[in-house]
Amino acid sequence: MNKLVSEQALQKALAKLPDEMTPQRDLWAGIERAIEVKTPDKPAHVTPENKVFMPTVWAASLVIAVLVTWLSFSPQFSEQPLDLAQQNNSPLTLVTAMQENFKQTKQSMLISFGQPKISALPKEIQQELINLSSAQTTIEKALNEDPSNNDLLNLLRWTQREELDLLSQLYSPKWQSI
Amino acid sequence: MDDPKVIYIKNCAEPPNAIAQALEDERVIISRAQQGDQQAFYQLYQQYHRKVYAICWRMLADKDSAEDVCQEVFVQLWQKIANFRGESKFSTWLHSVTNNIVLGHLRRHKNWLQRIFSLEDQTMADIAVEMPDSVGLTELDKHIARLPERARLVFVLFAVEGYRHEEIANMLGMAVGTSKAQYHRARNLLMEWIEI
Repeated sequence: MNKLVSEQALQKALAKLPDEMTPQRDLWAGIERAIEVKTPDKPAHVTPENKVFMPTVWAASLVIAVLVTWLSFSPQFSEQPLDLAQQNNSPLTLVTAMQENFKQTKQSMLISFGQPKISALPKEIQQELINLSSAQTTIEKALNEDPSNNDLLNLLRWTQREELDLLSQLYSPKWQSI
Repeated sequence: MDDPKVIYIKNCAEPPNAIAQALEDERVIISRAQQGDQQAFYQLYQQYHRKVYAICWRMLADKDSAEDVCQEVFVQLWQKIANFRGESKFSTWLHSVTNNIVLGHLRRHKNWLQRIFSLEDQTMADIAVEMPDSVGLTELDKHIARLPERARLVFVLFAVEGYRHEEIANMLGMAVGTSKAQYHRARNLLMEWIEI
């Protein structure tokens, strides 16, 4: 009986839910600034010639994009230090190299963003960064015990990337922050 | 006396239809926006931003994120509006664009702890009992915001937005059974909270 009453109450409340809500701040100003520099995409008209041409163009662009990305980023962050570490055949050296490489990448990233103050970030974001950092420390400790554990190595790499992604999302210039 | 031809035409003609006229007006505005007319795009924003914001707010349960994502929806809409070919209602199309952007945002910003340890079952009620930005919300909206993320998304998509479990499962990358289970979980929690 009680359940029936609450189910009815829920249905009633659902029926009364407004389909509109008003944001507290003016969102148009930011949108306007963002769209001023962008023009709407043209609709894609597919002609018979395009049908053959387009997939080739896409495939070529994809190959170029992958190559450029690989050449630009891959050697800087992951390959070089790992290669150096792998030459020494020591998993612990590998961990040290990963952390060293991560620190350097993070430092250059922060410099490129003008050395922003982390303390000026909202508390939740600061907490997120602290969590990532403490996770890295914990994983490193675990790796001291079990240096060849691939899962731990992957986890360490994942937390590093996550931190770099977060910093990049926070400080890269973007329209939301206008 | 009126010409009988004119009387015949008057009688046969469709009565002025406000809905049809409104749809025609909207079609013209959309077409202008597709040509890059910012004034027309602003009219679309004025007409739809509250609806878009409501979807964002209910799915994200956070005012700041909802505002950011609502902006993102309209910026992407500006760029992609040419893709709207009028095969469905504009509002339906915008609704689905909004859902995709909100879900994309959630995937990008999901807490790293949740990714590793699947802590998504923790309810927002455990994290924050009172939301600072809950002024003006209905009681049900306040309760929806307290639901665990997956249960909240499924409940909003199913009970509020009217999607089928098959569609929700596809959108959220889960099994249909999981979507149904999450919906029942959300419903039970809400009924429990409404009772209190």
